[in-house]
Formats: sequence, structure tokens, C-alpha cells
Amino acid sequence: VSPGGRTLRAREVRLAWALCLPALGSIAAVALFPLAWAGWESLHLHDLRMPWLGRPFVALANYAAALRDARFLAALGHTAGFAAVSVALELALGTLLALALDGARRGLARTAALLPWAMPTVVAALVWRFLFDGPGSAANGVVQALGHAPVAWLAEPWLAWVPIVLADVWKTTPFVALLLLAALQSVPAELVEAARIDGANAWQRFWHVTFPALRPALLVALLFRGLDAFRVFDLVFALTGGGPGTATEPVALYAYEVLLGELRFGYGSALSMTVFLATFALAWLYVRLAGAKLLGRER
Amino acid sequence: MPCGARLALPLAAVLACAPAAESGIAVTFPASAVGAEFEVLRAQLERFGLLHPEIRVLAQRTPDAADQRRQLYVQWLNAGADDPDVLQLDLVWTPEFAAAGWIQALDAFAPDPGDFLPEALRANRWEGRLYALPWFVDVGLLYWRSDLVESAPGSFEALVREADRAVEAQRVRFGLVWQGARYEGLVTVFLEHLTAFGGSILDERGAVAVDSPRAVRALEAMRAGLEAGLVPREALSWHEEEVRFAFQNGQALFMRNWPYALALLRDAERSRVAGRFAVAAFPAAPGGRAAAALGGAQLAINARSDRPEAAWRLIEFLTRPEQMLERARVAGQLPARRSLYEDAALSGILRVPVGQLLDAIEHAVARPATPVYAELSSHLQVWLHRALSGQAEPADALAAAAREMRGVLERARLGPGAGGEGGP
Repeated sequence: VSPGGRTLRAREVRLAWALCLPALGSIAAVALFPLAWAGWESLHLHDLRMPWLGRPFVALANYAAALRDARFLAALGHTAGFAAVSVALELALGTLLALALDGARRGLARTAALLPWAMPTVVAALVWRFLFDGPGSAANGVVQALGHAPVAWLAEPWLAWVPIVLADVWKTTPFVALLLLAALQSVPAELVEAARIDGANAWQRFWHVTFPALRPALLVALLFRGLDAFRVFDLVFALTGGGPGTATEPVALYAYEVLLGELRFGYGSALSMTVFLATFALAWLYVRLAGAKLLGRER
Repeated sequence: MPCGARLALPLAAVLACAPAAESGIAVTFPASAVGAEFEVLRAQLERFGLLHPEIRVLAQRTPDAADQRRQLYVQWLNAGADDPDVLQLDLVWTPEFAAAGWIQALDAFAPDPGDFLPEALRANRWEGRLYALPWFVDVGLLYWRSDLVESAPGSFEALVREADRAVEAQRVRFGLVWQGARYEGLVTVFLEHLTAFGGSILDERGAVAVDSPRAVRALEAMRAGLEAGLVPREALSWHEEEVRFAFQNGQALFMRNWPYALALLRDAERSRVAGRFAVAAFPAAPGGRAAAALGGAQLAINARSDRPEAAWRLIEFLTRPEQMLERARVAGQLPARRSLYEDAALSGILRVPVGQLLDAIEHAVARPATPVYAELSSHLQVWLHRALSGQAEPADALAAAAREMRGVLERARLGPGAGGEGGP
């Protein structure tokens, strides 16, 4: 028993808290404080360029305005659609790539596969823009080889998504593949071997043996990529700027324009908070559902 | 060089004789101005120093991209910074900064406005007071191929007809190229079409007028050009440079662009149209007038500057005719004084028939002078781009744009019916 009359365990708990304090403090300073500040800001009418309006408290008026803002709602739709399509493609292609890499000569093939992931997003976006921009672009070369007239990819509301999704898939599939590859290598070779001896064909071996082992990694990849795709900004910023019109504008880009382009701090904060709450809710729901399943399996 | 009184203009410390930034007048300057633009300013600041040894000037660099520069200024000024003392502003910022109380009216210094281009002066006024002096101007020019057509088109119809004919005869790939990406450049292109058709963005009372029948006709004409293939659809993602490349490679009969392209197009090593082009104002359609969108740089004084007198002396010096001529010679930037266009010196300097430039400058049309211009423009950009890319009909797009723009004016408590007489 310590001089304070406390048990050893209580002292250890105190020490643990003390040791965690710097970390908790930094989290509060760099994550919680800005978040709270943005939340507080979002309750005000604060337009840096209209200082004569002052900074009146407007409660939830900014949020009400956001829900009536067609451009914001459209941007939410774009973001969700982009996340769904690109992440689905990335998971599918990532699985294939992981299976291929699992068999391949390791070092070189893996390094090569990871290259797109290592490239800065803005550079990748500009490369893809170059591939799709103009009548003489590579993409139009393909289109013309197929007997079609050249297309102004970046000027068509739907076609402008093609380079965006392709660039994202090209860039992040390696990340998914790497995650899955790690899981793949934890599948004991004996299991696959046993299935083969039992007469399972390649598909059955994949579906009944390999895939269940991949599932936890797939869920992790889905969470990471899904949240990442929901925050997409730089890719679209450099590729289409959100155009034509606002046909490819994701929420992050719209919030950026309102906040830093128009300097409407109050309204922009409300948009950002809405996005934050949406992603947070998604992540929470996801962890509840998928996490339970994962843990359940392990128990 | 003595260190007497201090003024701060934002350029990195060019002439600093002491390291402390707060001890000089700071003048802002875009960071890209490393070449000719920087040279000319340095030479001018040196001469200013000889004239006013008691004033020390620091040149402070700022980002080159206009949007970033404005963001930076707004953050500084909003925080009440007392330097930079002298700010280089874009033409459309003056009313915004004046209404916010960030720059001071120049009337106290009794500036002599006589000789400056009237349209540029008008854009620098807010509530009847002058807040900035034009430093150099930019005007939208219609570049035309003098080897393919005999004269600049006298009307918008003639422009379309000739573009049609040249594309038909496969002498060029495109009839007309302009900046169609969703950014400020698109608004200037639209403004020229709009003026050509007799419309305007705001009317004389400051009310939104982009949904007028004339404006709809102007936007329909732009879209018709795209649909007929006279203007390439790719132009909807083009800024100044892509447009210049198309013209420079001989692909277009007409190009709408700024004067910076003059020198580049004349360079026979890189340009296929060297010696085969001329410039004019954008031609009028029925009911409108020829137009050249006006841009350029102004100099204004920070409202919090603690040395406004010295700052004013610097502005007065930099906007003198001889400094403007030097700037035109070294950096190719057009003078903001009318009389210089009648000066033989200028035609020798620019190596372009000054009559053509004067034609454009006399048709100069400024964008609306309102503190919320940037927001009005961003709403307009979105709807123009939607209409041009076929996502909305021109009339519907302009009606929607007008509705949103009226909302901005109302929110800002500016404009007719909003309770204010146009100011805080």
C-alpha cells in the first residue's frame, strides 16, 4: 500500500492517465478544438467579405440553408455515387490484383503494382486530364479507333466522370490489393490443398476457402476507401474543377469554394460540419455492424 | 540609401536597407513577377528612392493567381494588419475592399483623374469616391487572321459568317476560340457577347439584369457557336493558354484573348501565325455595341496604413505617364492613360498598331462595380457553364443565375429593394 493509502492498481491507473495525457492533449488541440470551433462558427452568419454585416448568431439557419441548397445536395449525391462506383471497382480489381500478386514473383511485381499509389494525387490527376483533354488525346485515339467521332470528355456532364473514376481506381487499387495480399498470405496453404484433394474446383476453392479469409481485410479496405472517397477533393479539383457546370462537384470541393473562395466562414463551416457528421455516422454504423461481425467471427 | 520614414508595398524586400519588414512601405506584387515585371518595378522604386530619400519602400511578393492573392489580402485586412501599405488590386476588387473599409478613399490627396481611362476610373469608384488609381490595363481582344480575312469583322453576324466559311473551306479547324472553362475568364467572354447584344450584368440602378431577353440572346449565340462546331466543345475546359495554343498553331480564324498573347504570337520561332494576325474589339450584334472586357491592376492604400501620405506619393509616382510607358516597354503591360495611346512612343514600344488597341480600349467595358462581385460572378459562372455544356437552356440558366445573384445582393443588403443605398 502506498503512502497515499491507495492500491498499486490505482497508482498504475493514475500513471497510465498521466502518460496518455500528452497524446490526449494533442488530439484535443489538433482535432477536437478545430472541430468545436467549426461547429461554433457554423452557428453564425460570418462572411469575411461583408464585414458590415457583423457576425451575428443565427443558430441553425446555416444548416437550414444547406438543406435547401440544390448545389450542396447535388454535391452530396455526386460524392456518394463516386464513392460507391469507384470503391466497388477498386475492391473487385484489388482482389484480382492481390490474387495475381500472390502467385507472382514477389519483389518486382509488387513494387510495380504499388507505383500508382506512390504518385501524388494532383500529378496523377493532371496526367489523366492530359489523357482525356482535347480532340487529339489518347482517350480520343481509342474512341476514334472504335469508329466514333472524338468526344469532349471534360465538357460532358456524365463523361467527365470517366477520367475521375478511372484515375481514382488506377491510383488506389494497389492499396486495396496490398491490404488483401497480406490477408491472402495468412490463408494456410494446407486448407487450399485439402479443398483441392476434396475435389473443389478453382472457383469453389476461392469462394469457400480463400474468400472467407479475405473478408475482414475487405471490410477494412471498404471502410478506408469509402471514407477516403467521400472526402475526394484534389483529384476532382485538378481534373475537372467540378465541371462542367457543377456536374462533377463533390462536397469537399463545394465546401472549399464556399469557405476559401467566397470566404463565407459561417455557411462553409455548416457545410463542413454536415459532411463530418455524415461520414462520422457512416463510420460509426459501419464499425457497429461490420465490427460486430468481425469480432464475432474471431471469438 | 538613407533609411528615413518607412512605408511597406507587399514584393520581397527589394530595396531594404534594414531587415525589419515593418520599417518600410510595403507594396504588394504578384510573385511570378520575377522577370520583366519585377525588373521594371525595381527600376522604378530605385528612382522613387532618389526622389524621396526619406521614404523606404519594400516590395512584398504575393501569389500570382488572382484568387489566392485576394484570399491573402482578405485575411490580412480582415485581421487589421497595417501593412502592406500599398495594395495591387484587380479591377473588380476595389468596391469590395472599399465597402469593407479596408482601403482608404484617395480624394484627400486630390488625385488628378483627368487622363486615366474613364471606364477604369469608374470601376475604382465606390459611393462616389475614388479608392484606387489604375496602374495598367488589360482588355479583351478579338484576334483575327489577317491572311484569311481582309478586315476585322464589322459585326457579330459577319464574324459568324466568316468563321463558318473558313471552317467549311477547311482553312481552319475552328472558327472562334474563347475561354470556356468555369472561371472568371468565362464571365469576361460572356460580358463581351452580352455587350455586343446590348445587355448588361447589372443595370444602372445596380439590379441584376442577366435574365433580360438581350442577355438570353447573347448566351444563345455562344451556345449556337458550340453546337455548330464553330467553337470547339473542348473550349469548355480551356483557359487563356489552351486558347492561345489553338490560335498560335493556326487552328482558329478568330480568338478572344488578352494582350499578353500579342508578343507570344509574334514570335516566329514558336508561332505559326506570326505576322498573320491583327486585333480589334469584339464586334457588335444588332442592338448592342462592340466590346472589350476590361481588367488590369490598380494601386490602393491600406486603410490602416500609418503612412498614407508616403503611400500616396508612391502611387502617384508609379502611375505617371513615363512609368507607364516604361512598363509597357519592359513588361508589355498596357498603360492606363488615354493620352499615351496618341503618343508615337507607345506604337514604337508595343510594335503593334496602336490604333487597333485604341479601338479595343475605347470599347472597354468593366464588370459590375459592386462589393459582392466575386460572389455574383461565381453564381454566374456555374449557370453559364451549365447552359454551354447543354445541362440547361440559356433562358432557364440565366433566370436561375439571376435569382441566385439577387439572393446574394439581398444577403449583402446591397442593391435595389434591399434597404441600403448600396453600401454599408
